[in-house]
This record gives sequence, structure tokens and C-alpha cells, in this order.
Amino acid sequence: MNRIAEMTPKERFGAFLQGKEIDRLLVSPLILNYASRSLDLKVREFCTNGKNMGEANIACFKKYRHDVVYIFSTTSTLAEAMGTRMHFPEDDSPQVETPFIQTKEDMKKLRIVNPDKDGRLPVYLEAAKRCVDAIGDEVFIVPVIGAPFTTAAALRGTDTFIRELYTDPELVHTLMRATTDSVKALIDAYVKAGTCPVTVEPIATGSMISEKHFREFVLPYLKEVYAHIHSYGLPGVLHICGKVKRVIKAMAESGADVLSIDDIDLLDAKELVGDKVCLMGNISPADGMFKGNPAIIREMVKDCVAKAYDNPKGYIVATGCEVPINTPHENMVAFLEAGREFARLPIDTKKLETEVKPHFHRTTSEACVH
Amino acid sequence: MELDRSTILNALAKAVIEMDTDAARKLAGEAIRLGVDPYMAIMDGLAKGMDKVNELYEEEEYFVPELLVCADAMYAGIEVLRAHMPKEDPHTRKKIVIGVMKGDTHDIGKNLVKIMLDNAGFEMHDMGRDVSYAKFVDTAGEIKADVVCLSTLMTTTMDGMQVVIEDLKKAGINSKVLIGGGPISPSFAKNIGADGYAKNAAEAVKVVKGVLQGISLNSVLFKDKRELVSIERNIGGKR
Repeated sequence: MNRIAEMTPKERFGAFLQGKEIDRLLVSPLILNYASRSLDLKVREFCTNGKNMGEANIACFKKYRHDVVYIFSTTSTLAEAMGTRMHFPEDDSPQVETPFIQTKEDMKKLRIVNPDKDGRLPVYLEAAKRCVDAIGDEVFIVPVIGAPFTTAAALRGTDTFIRELYTDPELVHTLMRATTDSVKALIDAYVKAGTCPVTVEPIATGSMISEKHFREFVLPYLKEVYAHIHSYGLPGVLHICGKVKRVIKAMAESGADVLSIDDIDLLDAKELVGDKVCLMGNISPADGMFKGNPAIIREMVKDCVAKAYDNPKGYIVATGCEVPINTPHENMVAFLEAGREFARLPIDTKKLETEVKPHFHRTTSEACVH
Repeated sequence: MELDRSTILNALAKAVIEMDTDAARKLAGEAIRLGVDPYMAIMDGLAKGMDKVNELYEEEEYFVPELLVCADAMYAGIEVLRAHMPKEDPHTRKKIVIGVMKGDTHDIGKNLVKIMLDNAGFEMHDMGRDVSYAKFVDTAGEIKADVVCLSTLMTTTMDGMQVVIEDLKKAGINSKVLIGGGPISPSFAKNIGADGYAKNAAEAVKVVKGVLQGISLNSVLFKDKRELVSIERNIGGKR
């Protein structure tokens, strides 16, 4: 069999982006706050200190050698930098405490973010730079940015904000303008730091809003974001969890090259948008990584590879959403081993067919907004 | 042109479905002026509209923003009508305690379930978010809750649901427990001994009604017996 030698995660990702030959599909569980576990840190110590955040991700990469190293703690980090107050539980991801825009008057206080100064963006930047210095020649460092709609929701308070899609669309667009400009400023800073930023837009999930609203309030701004990322020659990656079947076509029109998806059958995703975008997902974080066991996870990985390996624009083996913080180590190992085995190229289709595919219940994440 | 009674009931329903808060308020006042029974104006007008909204949500015609704005319209109308209603006998309605688990502040899902159960005629006791296990248990005991609804969006807080279920038992409180939220699955609900699981707000009403009628967990949770067997096998087959 014609196999090419094992590549480093960076060589693999690079070759994949350039459409060159690779040894296997990328295997990229969404290791985010879970990285804290590699240095036995509590989440608060991890996400409020650039050294901790960087070193934990470096240790985590050395332990697992996953194909992408993400820098992330919550989807609201950009909103926090723009003025939203967060609550930091000792050992859990930060959550919105007080949204910045309490009254319409507060809109006047909106400023484009300064990544070197505002909120915890300096923490993220330090973490990213440490990773670039230590492991940047082996793997791409990928900070995760809350995209404009998700950032706007965290600035206004999600339930107020989504009501205003009806009651005050003008305010929504004004807010989207401000968050889009800040997303772009943050992209600039991350690119300058030698990283490859990606975006998450979970509040725009099909569990939350209609396709009509997605097209009206989300899509135009996402297009701007990916055009900006493309101007650096970098790929656009869009993650939306929860149910995405109703919005996935619109997602594929955003200019994103990769869609990271959660609650949708990969066969449906392939049929709907597989000729336009690379798909990434969607092993269950809760039922698989957290509550499952190595045997269950192996089946789930195999099932995903079997469904999506032949996606016309490619496939990346990943979890549907963040790997839960308290995922057992052996489950993570099982995920990576199964990914490396089943996603080795050329795909061994016989191996994928040997066992009967079980039917897994998928949880319907409403939205992953932590 | 004067609105007659049946027209005004339909118009109230329509105001809710069309997310028109001003119209709902105005029509509620008009109903009072015409001598329509306020209770009827709610049940056959506003609530009927909300039932339709629930259907549209289930059919994925309506989504969360629509649901919230429709509920705003409904409550605006109810506020006007309530001033003209006799105090209701508190013993006739089934009582439900609802809240988001300790450590979690995401409450949109919980609020949707509350709106739907409220509309279905249950007496709702909303504990809010980041609710301690003890508060769920104490409140359920105090008001003799028929059902306790637990919600969470996070994997770090989902295990607390089992603690609440066990503490309720220890305290001798036999409220039924319904759980839901992003990471929650039917198999998780079964494993921790919950009485019911609902995947969304629309389904929550059906599951609560089913659970209160003593319909067993399995038939409420699993539409297809094979699905249950398959899940059990994958989880390790423990009963």
C-alpha cells in the first residue's frame, strides 16, 4: 500500500490546506479548557494567567500530540474585553455576569477592542505566543474568537438580544457592526502573534434562530470576517454547535472553508454542503467523551469517519463541541487512537464496515455558550 | 366596528402568534369592556395563541426569539386581564418547581420550559439559575411540588441532577423529576433515575403530563423500544 511517512501535525495541516497528499485525516478534538488538566490546574488559574494557559496547552500537546492546539476559555472573551463583566468559577469556564449594554444609552460606550490591553485578551495573546515559541514548529496554534453575533449577545445579554431581532433590529445591526470590527482587530493581533485564529458562533445555532434571521443578522458579518482572514492567506473556520441542519447552507455561504458542526447527521451535512466546505465533527462530547468509555468512543469515531471520509471538500475528525473539562484521560486517548487508526489514508473501508454501526442518541445542545 | 366576543378571542390568539404586544394589551382591555370572562380571554384567546406558537416551534417554523416575543405579548395581555379575575383556588393546579443547576447561569432553555408549562396551566415556582441542591429539595418539600424540573447546559453541572434526585428521595419527597438541557440525553436521564427527559420546551409539556399520569419512563423517553435496547447495549447493558 502506498503510504506516506508520518507527518507532524503542522505538516499535515499545512499540506491539507494546500490540497497536497497527507498521511491521514486531521484528528482534532476540541481541547479547550480541558488543556488545564495537563498541568493539574483549576480552570480559573488556567484562563486568567497567560503563562498557565500557554504552558498547560504546551504540556497537553506533548501528552496527546493532537493536530491543532486551540487557545480558548469562553465564547464571551471578546465581549468581556469590550466591557461585559464575567464570573470566574474556581474550576469551570467563565460565565457572563453582567452584560455591558444595559440600556440603549450604553451603546455610545462601545469601542473597538484593543487586544494588547482589554480584558483577558493579553492573557490569550501571551498563551498563544508561548505556544508558538515552544511548539509552533510542530503544530498550528489556533486562538478561538467569539464571532460577531455571539459576542453581541454576550454584550447585550442573550435573551434581550435575541428579542431585539424583532423589537429593535437597528440596535442589533449597530451592535453587529461594533463586534465585527472588534473581531477583525483581534484577528489582526493573533495573526501578528504567529497564530491562525478561528471563529465560533454558537448563538447563531439553528436551535436558537431561524435561517431567515441567520441570513439577515449573521451571514453578512461572517462574510466580512472570513474575507478578512482570507486576506492573510489563512483558512476560515466556523464552529456552530447545537442543531445546524436548518442553517448549514447559509453557514457554507459565509466564505468559511471548514464547518465545525455538532448536532447533525454527517451524511446530511455532506449532502447539503459537502461540495463547498470541509466538515469537522461531531463525536458527542457529553455521551461520548465525558460519560462514554473507550469502546463507545471508538465506535463513535469510526461511525463519523465512515460517514464523512469521502466528503468532497474533506473531513476532520473532531468532537462536536468542547471536550468536557472532566473527560477521563483514557477516553481522550481512545479518541485519538481511534482517529489515527480509522483516518489513516488511504481509508481502509473494510475496517470501517467490519462491525455493525450502532445507533447513538445524540444530545441536542441548545447552544454552547460557556 | 365593534368586535364581538369570538372575534376578540381569535384576535387575542392572533396577537400572540404575531408577536404584537401592544395589540394583546389593547385587545385584553377591549375584552374586559365587552364583558368577556377574563379567564376565558386567557384560555380561549391568549393561551390558545401560545399553543399555536408551541406547535410552530415544534415544527421549526418558530425559534427562540419568536417564542420569547410571543410570550411577552401573552403576558402583556394576561397582566391586563388578571386585575379583573377572582383569586384562583391554589389547590387546583399541579405545582412545579423549576430551576438551573448550581454552577450554571444559562437560563434561556429553562425560561422557555417555564413559559410552556405556565401556559399549560401548571403553577410554576421558578428558582432562577445557579440554584443549590438544597434549595430545590427544600422548596419541593415546602410547596409539595408535583414535579421538579432541573435544567443545565454544562457537562460540569449535570451530575448535580443525580444529587437532587437522591436528596429528594432521602427527604421523603416524592415529586417527579424531569431533566433537560444541552448535554442531557435520555440515557443519562435513565441512569440517574429521573422520571422524565424532554429535548425541548414543546416536548416538556407532554412529558410532564405523561409523567403525572404515571406513564412509565421508558415509554415517555424512548419512542422506539429498539433505540432503548441499542442505547443500553452501548452503555454497557446495565439495567
